[in-house]
Amino acid sequence: MLAAAAAIPQAATPQTPPPDADLDSARELLKSNAQQIAKVKLPMPTEPAFHFKA
Amino acid sequence: MAKFTFTDDIFFGSISEIAAALAKKEFSTVELTHAFCNRLEKLGPRYNALALSLRDSALRKAKDVDRDFKLDRVRSPLQGIPYGAKDLLAAKGKPTTWGAKAFAGQVFKEDAAVIELLDKAGAILIGKLSMVELAGGGGNRYPSASATGACLNPWDRTYWSGGSSSGPGTATAAGMVTFSIGSETSGSILGPSAYCGITGLRPTYGLVSRRGAMALSWTLDKIGPMCRSVEDCALVLSVIAGNDFEDPGSAGKSFHYAPQFARKPDEITIGYAPIDFDESAAPEMRAGLQEALKLVKSLGMSMKEVEIPDFPYNALVSMIIATEGASAFEDFIRSGKVDELTDHRQARGLKANLDIPAVDYLRAMRVRALVQQAFRDLFLDVDFLLAPTKPNIAWKLTDRLDDTTPPATPPKSRGLSGLIPAGNLAGLPALSLPCGFASGLPIAISVVGRPFYENQLIAVGKAFQSHTDWHRKRPPVTE
Repeated sequence: MLAAAAAIPQAATPQTPPPDADLDSARELLKSNAQQIAKVKLPMPTEPAFHFKA
Repeated sequence: MAKFTFTDDIFFGSISEIAAALAKKEFSTVELTHAFCNRLEKLGPRYNALALSLRDSALRKAKDVDRDFKLDRVRSPLQGIPYGAKDLLAAKGKPTTWGAKAFAGQVFKEDAAVIELLDKAGAILIGKLSMVELAGGGGNRYPSASATGACLNPWDRTYWSGGSSSGPGTATAAGMVTFSIGSETSGSILGPSAYCGITGLRPTYGLVSRRGAMALSWTLDKIGPMCRSVEDCALVLSVIAGNDFEDPGSAGKSFHYAPQFARKPDEITIGYAPIDFDESAAPEMRAGLQEALKLVKSLGMSMKEVEIPDFPYNALVSMIIATEGASAFEDFIRSGKVDELTDHRQARGLKANLDIPAVDYLRAMRVRALVQQAFRDLFLDVDFLLAPTKPNIAWKLTDRLDDTTPPATPPKSRGLSGLIPAGNLAGLPALSLPCGFASGLPIAISVVGRPFYENQLIAVGKAFQSHTDWHRKRPPVTE
């Protein structure tokens, strides 16, 4: 191993938080995203952007 | 013939320069491939940029190419050029890990479409390059979320290269490959290109086939070139673009690089927002960004102040990636293999995404249709949008990526903030151009255009690079 490689700070090692905390925060984020999207005024005839062609 | 000594001028050479040297027989394709493989194998692991060296198959291919050169058979401008591919792309008979240990044994029987096209063009695939595991699906908390560890930034090894096309960013910037192929769902080409000081092109959705690429989001995924100049991006795009009946998202369009048909600067209007180059950017970046803006203004194009249409872009893109990614990886998540991911936040994120209500996803896709219309309207007034690619320099290796604090006071204007998720939602092409340094790390601007407007986008990028040399800077990398 090169000396320079040994000198660099190591990337943050993932620490294991309580699993449920991460799952809960992931669900919270999804809820918050859904709430932000729900605030957009959406005309009823608007169809989803499926068969997406730019 | 005296043995050729490969120096940085070759390792950092452009496609045209290397092609010219091959044509003049200054060295053979086999010698060139040897030299690049040596460099990639030596530097790649030092920067966590290499997923897999493909030396043996590369040398076999190089011999074939040398035979073609002897017969004066030139298949494309990329003939004999060594490149790397993000490990999200299948290479026939070789492990394709998608950046995750859980997929270490995965081998496909066919090459991805882009690898197949580059092979036909005579380019030499010398290695698979590292990436964030599963391209960050689920949301990684740490730069280390990869089977190969955090990919180090070649300008400062205490910083991250960005993701998810991490290896392509670092390997291209450090001259380990002449160009690379990355992918973007929302920011994965533009981000690492900006952080590593290279030129990245995100093509219009559907222009480049994704056959043989890992799917994270069927309606957002795109494959594109990561190079050291706009000219190189154009050459690579002309090879990899085109219709593919086996990619349901294929737009049935092709791309032919034709600079002679590009409009003149005085026929072009650029939309921008001054706030992006000032208040919204990190303080240390502002001087460099403002210099870049000044230069663009001096190129003779009309400039018009604009503001991005008001939509929750991050929420929209997150919702769509989360839902489509959960579906693409449903079996992996339900089997429990998801817990083998390095990043626990990412694993939990993928699990939570299985429970997204269908109406939430459909609402996001309906709002996306409004986003597309809003951008069609915006492009009635301007031809391109210009903004800093990222408002910050690269992350430190020790940073938590989910640790984002909103500004104490909201900005006076939206500017073009959110242009990366917005451009991806609308399927727009974009080019990231290095424009200076801040705190010793690269900074970049992005130009975003109308769908399938790549030829003109490239012309604007080339005009910028003909007046700057930021894209020619070489990071302090020694073998």
